[in-house]
Amino acid sequence: MNKKGAGMREIKSHPILHFDRGGQVEFSFEGKRITAYQSETVAMALYRNGINVFSESSKLHRPRGMFCAIGKCSSCMMRVNGVPNVRTCILPVRSNMQVERQHGLGEKPSGVVHFLSPVEREETVTIIGGGPAGLSAAIVFAENGVKPLVIEQNPLLGGQLIKQTHKFFGSKNEGAGIRGIKIAKEMIQKVENLGIPTLARSSAFGFYPETDTLGVFKENQYIKVHSNYYLFATGAAERMIPFEGNDLPGVFGAGAAQTMMNIFGIKPGNRVLMVGAGNVGLIISYQLLQAGVEVAGVVEAAPRIGGYFVHAAKLRRFGVPILTSTTIKRAIGVARVEKAVTVSLDDKFNEIPNSEKEWGIDTVCLSTGLIPSVTLLAQAGCKMKYSPYLSGYVPIRNKNLMTTKENIFIAGDVSGVEEASTAILEGQLAAYSILKKMGKDAALQIDETRSELEKLRSGPFGTKILKGLEEVQYE
Amino acid sequence: MESKDVVIIGGGITGLSTAYYLAKEGLRNIVVIEKSYLGSGSTGRCGTGIRQQFTTREHIILMRESVKLWKEWENNLPKSVHFRQGGYLWLLKESEMDAYREYVRLQNILGVNSRIIGKDDVKLIVPDINTEGIAGASWCPSDGNAYPFDTIDALRIALKRFGILIRQFEEVKEIKVKNGIIQQVVTDKETFNTHFVVDAAGFGARKVARMVGVDLPLKLYRHQIAVSEPVKVFLEPMVVKGELYFTQTYRGRIIGGTDLNEQPTESLSSTDEFLPQFANEILSVLPTISSLNVMRQWAGFYVVTPDHHPILGGTDLPGFLLGVGFSGHGFMLGPVVGKLLATYIMHGTMYLPEANNLDLRRFRSGCLIQEKAVIG
Repeated sequence: MNKKGAGMREIKSHPILHFDRGGQVEFSFEGKRITAYQSETVAMALYRNGINVFSESSKLHRPRGMFCAIGKCSSCMMRVNGVPNVRTCILPVRSNMQVERQHGLGEKPSGVVHFLSPVEREETVTIIGGGPAGLSAAIVFAENGVKPLVIEQNPLLGGQLIKQTHKFFGSKNEGAGIRGIKIAKEMIQKVENLGIPTLARSSAFGFYPETDTLGVFKENQYIKVHSNYYLFATGAAERMIPFEGNDLPGVFGAGAAQTMMNIFGIKPGNRVLMVGAGNVGLIISYQLLQAGVEVAGVVEAAPRIGGYFVHAAKLRRFGVPILTSTTIKRAIGVARVEKAVTVSLDDKFNEIPNSEKEWGIDTVCLSTGLIPSVTLLAQAGCKMKYSPYLSGYVPIRNKNLMTTKENIFIAGDVSGVEEASTAILEGQLAAYSILKKMGKDAALQIDETRSELEKLRSGPFGTKILKGLEEVQYE
Repeated sequence: MESKDVVIIGGGITGLSTAYYLAKEGLRNIVVIEKSYLGSGSTGRCGTGIRQQFTTREHIILMRESVKLWKEWENNLPKSVHFRQGGYLWLLKESEMDAYREYVRLQNILGVNSRIIGKDDVKLIVPDINTEGIAGASWCPSDGNAYPFDTIDALRIALKRFGILIRQFEEVKEIKVKNGIIQQVVTDKETFNTHFVVDAAGFGARKVARMVGVDLPLKLYRHQIAVSEPVKVFLEPMVVKGELYFTQTYRGRIIGGTDLNEQPTESLSSTDEFLPQFANEILSVLPTISSLNVMRQWAGFYVVTPDHHPILGGTDLPGFLLGVGFSGHGFMLGPVVGKLLATYIMHGTMYLPEANNLDLRRFRSGCLIQEKAVIG
């Protein structure tokens, strides 16, 4: 079963990507040997080897598998080397690791970790989040003589760009016509060339407003960061929607499917139902086809397709049905999704009786929106406001992305869910704004960046964002 | 304008418990007014512990009674408060042993089953404890803890069944007094006619008392707590060592705190000093939890009196009663204080005579009762 699973889930050939998986290592899962690639995380290695169930839920003992694949949820927690509650989706494999399922709450830890004594760091600028917004800001700082510190939770820099194989729209300056993965590669290379200090696999876990200190934890080290300015580019997390069976292994965030396919070369399943026909849902459906996965259909609760026409047209060309006014009602299966039931909705989003449709699929992908990751900003005491146009609670800010605290700025999805090209521009804008505050001459660049942003938002998809910004911008 | 027999200011454990025992006595035309949500003050921020290992007659007797009432709450309230008698294991250095032997003697005389145990017995109770530098412990198996949020919710449901009015997100602005008698309580939303007011406002108690010209000797000390991610329950006792305390909730999270020796403050912010210090202290006692992640950290107030005992009962203003200044022990004292204040209102006397020593007059007369065993 293991061998067959491995063969079934590994992407052998891909029209765009080539996977450099590295050498093989072995580790133990429930006492059995698992062969993994050096470049994989534990969750990916297990999944590629056909293992769906990572744990049992604590009250009803339901099977649980991976969901977000980027360390934002707790669905993939397992016991690793005697340590409970380890997020295996962001844990790189090492040979001879002991990995076990958790049955309900984890057992108490067995080993003892020796902590390094806390260290303090004095910084001029600290950027939290190494995705497109954070990295573009870091580059602007470094090019203007300020070395910022970049903190990233994942092992890799680049955020969600490193899995975006599609070409970008928008203006040339932000990489229109270039694939996201290429933009990411170039940015990461630039960050390295400029010698920007980065802390990867580091959690910024708390902001202490009395002393304006950022608490960071990296492996066994507590780091207190004291910085003159903070730029939060913490991104967003996938939104879960309620339906029966939504916790079954095989129900993934669409971004997780993208991570599996485009970073690790793993098929999330054989036959997928995509929930949500916004740009993310349409693009990832197409990327599933590129990876050799069958897409049974795309359902969208709204009466019309939310994403760009070109993305929808590509899917239709491959015969993938896109059903509007339809949503998922139930995922069915024992240890993994085996079937799903969708239902039609009327114009008030109520279910239409007897309109259920059963789908023989093994995977459900949810592209039902993102929620800005704002908790640190709330801790810092930045004033927040709810805006449905920006996908949730976001910090109130001025036109230069300064929050209600003078030393705290924001950029990217955390300021309102949008897309990578605007995130890149926002990162640059926030960096120039901070440089100006520091007394550097950046007025011109601020104006330029702002007009670039305005241009990008002038299309039909920008209206929503502009409405949201009206609600949360001051001055 | 509504008339109420009693207006209780504060929707924490003290206010709700007082309302509960008034209702049981048959007095139902009362209101609890909370400026935020129920339990939003010190109750929801507390460390969950319930102990009888104190050093004064007053504290020991009140807590012995409170433990009895916690058991009743667990059995009689509409939902479990998760009262668990896992014991308090108070780790001691050699130099502390004699003093604690004396405390245990007093506790035993007053009917509390504490005892001094040696190092090996400590290991029998919590095998993972590092006993280096420890001579023994003061151990009381009938001490324990309860879950603050379930306690508040259980009381809320009980009060609802009694038909008692609870007002949340409503703040008392003024207490009107005429000819030395309370007439009205005015909030930001409405006015109640009443002659009886209970000040159970926790860290807001001083402000409330000032409305009627009563000055309370209370200082606010910030204390911080952290909880871990959950694991299966393996630690039932509350472990104490110096200022450090910790236990595990029934939901599996390790919860605990320590003292940073701060000056009084009005701030409820968390600080960056707490986690490293707490981690160092707790890991020196229980190294095996070193790989657990911290989930949350927060701050609350100890509302401290000059002698670390609460101020209970009447004041110079007839009908203005106090249940304030618990100095870090408000949650554990909640049941007994509610019952004491309710019987005081109904019958004009505290049903435990020791509670009479705890009224406001002691600060005027200088008859303070010093508590020596304060943690965190």
